Amino acid sequence: MESNLDDEIADLQAKVSSLKTQLRVHTSTLITAPSTRQLLTQQQPQQKSSKSTQDTQNRDRDRLTNSADQHQAHAQQCLYRACASLTTFRARDPDPHAVDGGAVLGLRIEVVSRSRFLRPYYVLLNRPYQNQTQGRGRGRESGSRRLRVHRHTIPSCVPLAGLAARYLPGPAAKKAVSGGEKGGDGDRAKDQRRGKEQDLARFARALRRELVRYHHRLGVVADLRKAAELGIEKDAERDAERGEEEEITEGESTLERRRNRLVDITPADAGAKQLTIEWADGRTGRLVMSDDGDIVKLVVLGDNGRDWAAGRDLLGGATRVEDVIKRLTALA
Amino acid sequence: MARISIPTTARLPSSLRVDPNNSAVTKILSRLTRSSLISVALDWLDEANISLAVPYLRDDDEDEDNEDVDDFYPAARSPRALIENYLSLQERKGSKREVLDRIVEGDWRHGLTLYQLAMADLQYLYDHPTSQKWSAYRIMPLQAPHDPDGEELPEVDRLSLTVPRFHPSTFLKTLQSHVLPDVKAHYNFDAHRSLPLLILRIFILDSPYNTNHALQSGSTTNFDSSRTVYIAFPDASPYIFISKPQSTTSTTSVSSTSATSAVSARGPTAAGESKSLNALLVEGIPKSLSRPLCRERFTLQSTDLVTRNLAELVERRGGGRTNCAGGGWSIYADEGRGGSSGERGKKRGRKETPLDLVLPSPPLSELDQDQENLDPGSAAGRKGAPAAAVLLTESERRSERATKRARLVAKARFGETGMVRDGKGVERVDIVIEDPFPKVGGQEVGGEEDEGGEEMAQRDSARSDPKGGKRKSRFDQILENAGENEDDEEDDNNTASAPTWRPHVKLTFHGSHVFAGIRQLVESGVIDGERMPGWMTGEEGVTIGAVRHGRIRGYKGSGV
Repeated sequence: MESNLDDEIADLQAKVSSLKTQLRVHTSTLITAPSTRQLLTQQQPQQKSSKSTQDTQNRDRDRLTNSADQHQAHAQQCLYRACASLTTFRARDPDPHAVDGGAVLGLRIEVVSRSRFLRPYYVLLNRPYQNQTQGRGRGRESGSRRLRVHRHTIPSCVPLAGLAARYLPGPAAKKAVSGGEKGGDGDRAKDQRRGKEQDLARFARALRRELVRYHHRLGVVADLRKAAELGIEKDAERDAERGEEEEITEGESTLERRRNRLVDITPADAGAKQLTIEWADGRTGRLVMSDDGDIVKLVVLGDNGRDWAAGRDLLGGATRVEDVIKRLTALA
Repeated sequence: MARISIPTTARLPSSLRVDPNNSAVTKILSRLTRSSLISVALDWLDEANISLAVPYLRDDDEDEDNEDVDDFYPAARSPRALIENYLSLQERKGSKREVLDRIVEGDWRHGLTLYQLAMADLQYLYDHPTSQKWSAYRIMPLQAPHDPDGEELPEVDRLSLTVPRFHPSTFLKTLQSHVLPDVKAHYNFDAHRSLPLLILRIFILDSPYNTNHALQSGSTTNFDSSRTVYIAFPDASPYIFISKPQSTTSTTSVSSTSATSAVSARGPTAAGESKSLNALLVEGIPKSLSRPLCRERFTLQSTDLVTRNLAELVERRGGGRTNCAGGGWSIYADEGRGGSSGERGKKRGRKETPLDLVLPSPPLSELDQDQENLDPGSAAGRKGAPAAAVLLTESERRSERATKRARLVAKARFGETGMVRDGKGVERVDIVIEDPFPKVGGQEVGGEEDEGGEEMAQRDSARSDPKGGKRKSRFDQILENAGENEDDEEDDNNTASAPTWRPHVKLTFHGSHVFAGIRQLVESGVIDGERMPGWMTGEEGVTIGAVRHGRIRGYKGSGV
């Protein structure tokens, strides 16, 4: 009984929240419509009414305009995000001891996969070098406004640290002279790099490129799996097992094909640049692709060492992974 | 089984049998509960494993009469019969002893293979996820050496764009070649059951032989639990987690071999030996990951995160988005995987697609509070409040508002992290505060307000404390690391002109989930959430750190 009541309450609450969501959807649709906008901005004809009603009207209208402005801004932001795929925003660091008064510059990188926007990746940058130089009263120098990656949500298979070191080097070291004496070539090179100009645009571009490549590679792996019919493999296997007794006299070619069937394709490293391929008869292969999806190498190992023929069969002269997908789809 | 034992550099084979009376076998097996013991035995009898865990079976052609009548556990005829045996054991109730005796004296009386022991040990690890203390290391690429003699130490290549790759069998092969010939190890890989991890169990024996000879009881004082090392490789992530042997609590890190030797000189010799074995092993790991022929060399760098909680490690050093977005920043990383119930997960996981034109409700606004009311935990605590609101006096209402505000602030600072029940807690956090003592009338020392809240704060007692002595070396190291940053040096110069008093303040937080505890204190208003320094939210993802200017200066405290 009690659980019934609880369920009912949960149901009702779910209904309430879904209705609220609907309400919000309708609100935003209505309020961003050009006609609504027009109505709001129109000068309302002076009507004869009591002062209090006029006050409430004005207040309501203010609220509506406010909300309309917010929606407008949001719609614009969405438009920018949809078109530019690399947008910035400002954020605030809640830490009371945060550098630069908590000012944070956010980079938002949109990634599209399978005709859907994924959750964007964020890089949050701050200026940790600014306060020190200002505090000493030396005024602003070139190094003071340098950015540094503060927080980010980039997956660890994207070499963010390397990119940041390349495009967002820190300010030149103060003790470059004394450091140069004892340090070797490496130190000097580091100092040179540190003094270099930062290039946020190139950093963002390079980072986005890496992210998009990564997602493309993941997508290619998924396509490969689909082409090799790995998703529906479970059913097929069950059918095959059931039908095995009846089809004892199946042709040589079917057997051959079954042996040559791929049973698994999985990314073998963090960046999905290497794929492990497994055949039904126990052969395993490793496909290495470049950042952009060109096939670098394919090695297939069978029971008696390397199986060159299987490798050739799979690739068929393809130079890109997409070609392999096409081949597999055609074969199936 | 080989008849002759010759010293070799090969690893211990998985099929090597250990005498069931060996103390290690009893120790490993008796740690398990009855149910996991049975499930392990069933795993052994599984088709995939049985070749490495052959039970004692009766020959079919053997005569029935030949059977030993005294045998309390008559040998089964086939693995199938054994499986049924254990299944029936699983169904009925009984003591653990019954199963244990059956395994040791009956079905595996001729010995358990190292593989079986490894499986049992891993089962214990799954049963008791916090039984090991893990420290996280980052795999860093090294610059190609400049001089051919290789005399200068290789430097970390910060410009490199290579993401280290890990191939289990190659790794093992190379690791074996780095282990000294008078040490034998048994390796066993296993994929973690619930977390995206690959666990490597390394079992170290002090023997030059890789045959039965190595296991003969009395030959060495081997089979010490401290000689089992676990290494966990998170999927798709350039980090590595290494467990510390249980018996030794001090920090063994790759970079602090000097500290290790100092410690081992003090401790008993046996402990020292096993520690140096571990050190050897740990040194071998980056070398095994490296591939000099491909000009890829790596080193391990400590990331100042030590915890017993693997889930936390995967969260902060895994392949996902949450690595560098802890605390309040987690709203940027939130992918909706946090919500347990379906509806909640949908709501919380803001997809943030630009095609959604609905104005997003800012965090902490009305909608979020609706969500909170749905949370069973929070709803219970505040059920009576709205109804009684009318009867509240002014002061009560104020306090009501204050608690509400505190909750909101906690949400802003911690985001979705630091929940008591999220199972991602660290159990110990060590912080050194390096800020100069504030001038009289100025602001108070950062972190002073939290002393009363959490358990203990040590002040200047490091030298007298025997445990603190060891830890201090670790801290000093961090300070040195921090000193390498040029901006820090500038600060030193800056403050050197006006000498200030810098008290040596160390804070240690202890508990089952430290940051959830701090969050609760913020929520209840003990800690002022708005003035609380950022490192108290755990957003840096370190458990050892030095605080300077109110910000943590651990290993690459912020961002990259």
